Amino acid sequence: MPATREPEADLSVLPKADGSARYSYAGYTVTGSVNGPIEAQRRDEHAYEAHVDVIVRPAAGVGGTRERHLETTLQSSLTQLILVKNFPRSLIQIVLQVESAPENDYVNTKLVQASLNFAIIPALLQTAVLALLSAAVPMRATATSAIVAVVSQDGASELVADPSPREVEAAQSVHVLAFTSQDELLLAESEGDFTVKEWDDVYDTAKRICCQSGATKGESIEMVLDEKGDNGPDMRQFLRSTLETKVVADLYWK
Amino acid sequence: MPREAEPSLNERQFVLQALTENLRLDGREFDKYRPLELTFGDEYGVADVTLGKTRVLAKTSAEVTVPYVDRPLDGIFTIATELSPMTSPAFELNRPTETEVLLSRLIEKTVRRSGAMDTESLCLVAGQKCWSVRVDVHVLSHDGNLTDAACFAVVAALRHFRKPDTSMEGGVLTVYTPAEREPVPLSWLHSPFCVTWSFYGEEGEIALLDASWSEEQIRVGSCTISLNRHGEICQIAKLGGTPVEAVALLQCTNVALTKVKEFSTFLDKKLAEDAKRRDKGGLMAELSAENDR
Repeated sequence: MPATREPEADLSVLPKADGSARYSYAGYTVTGSVNGPIEAQRRDEHAYEAHVDVIVRPAAGVGGTRERHLETTLQSSLTQLILVKNFPRSLIQIVLQVESAPENDYVNTKLVQASLNFAIIPALLQTAVLALLSAAVPMRATATSAIVAVVSQDGASELVADPSPREVEAAQSVHVLAFTSQDELLLAESEGDFTVKEWDDVYDTAKRICCQSGATKGESIEMVLDEKGDNGPDMRQFLRSTLETKVVADLYWK
Repeated sequence: MPREAEPSLNERQFVLQALTENLRLDGREFDKYRPLELTFGDEYGVADVTLGKTRVLAKTSAEVTVPYVDRPLDGIFTIATELSPMTSPAFELNRPTETEVLLSRLIEKTVRRSGAMDTESLCLVAGQKCWSVRVDVHVLSHDGNLTDAACFAVVAALRHFRKPDTSMEGGVLTVYTPAEREPVPLSWLHSPFCVTWSFYGEEGEIALLDASWSEEQIRVGSCTISLNRHGEICQIAKLGGTPVEAVALLQCTNVALTKVKEFSTFLDKKLAEDAKRRDKGGLMAELSAENDR
């Protein structure tokens, strides 16, 4: 199956929701919708801040504990980003519908009980941020996310960004990191065995993927040319250009 | 959760007045569908259907399970329709609304109860192993006529789907992964589609096809007719509402048949296009392990 190597995104794809986005990268396709601020239910209502509700829906089967875990992870990250204090007693509802996830052709998967693993977090987070931007929800910063796997080959460990499901299975450890647009670490989730040194390498790689445009802003063009190719796509630049395209299209009449 | 806003008296009057003057808000004729679009995903069994602003995504999946005790020779076939808050914030998770119950019931009756798929062919070892085929319907946006769009998506997804190939040798069942053997299609018998009519006026004398959300909210009754392109009716559901004359209903079924024929050819064309797209280098015929029926 040809997985898209370049990230793709469409903004405001759903006509009814306040904001929505469709994002696809590395075989994952996620559609997200944001409604908010809307009236919160009594049990979710908070006197001083907005409640951020994240719902992750798998493509096939019913959601289980894994989806709930993803929801809590994303919820805590997104609450940091959204200016929740601006909207007391209200609700910001984010629904993330997984449309497709890369499949491992060499294994027959159990499908009826959905089990999204955490390799999907970058796609979910990216979609959520794009949908929030499309809904014009005030945010402290935007965020970008990356997944890096540590694969050991002949004794030497190697870092693989955006691993395929087979690589994730064979990897020693998998790490998901997210950075805000101010280059601050927002989310760090790891699975498997790894050393502190490996984690530091992973951190550097992920930061390069997430925060490239910020890092190369003041530096020479050769640097950019040099780093391209082996570092994968530049997520922050991608986020920015997607929004620029959208804004240009929306303000065309002016 | 906030409730969906109901149309105001002015809006109501406006739409109804226009209808009595043979006009619809979007300028369509009364028996005309909004543009229908269908795209298949990279995987097998994913269909994305757009009908105007209504958008439905259906995904089919299959796994090997134990059959039900009372039906040892049948496979399991389920259709799951759950409306998420993505459709509208008025829908809440795990709390089915009337719309959702009616939708799943209608699709169930149309596709499952009409025997569109041969469930006996899903049986692998009688009483021990069978395929469980599941279709998940995700409603991404709702702008009226959910039933027809969802039904079309389900049928398209099922016809596009390929399940892993299996073989039995000496009582040992082998399920081949997609890398080992090309997956095989389901045994499909006929393709039923839903056509929904909405009625307006005091005696339901105005009948509209493919009502949009604003039209749907002010109708006095509706009738869903499911049939296949041979004109075999699977079900007719008229759930309450203003009574409609029998002759008018007959007229509706006749128009429904022409619409279903259009759907059928459209789906066949799209499936053929997709097969062509996948068949790069013309190797599909050799890879296929499927027998002619």
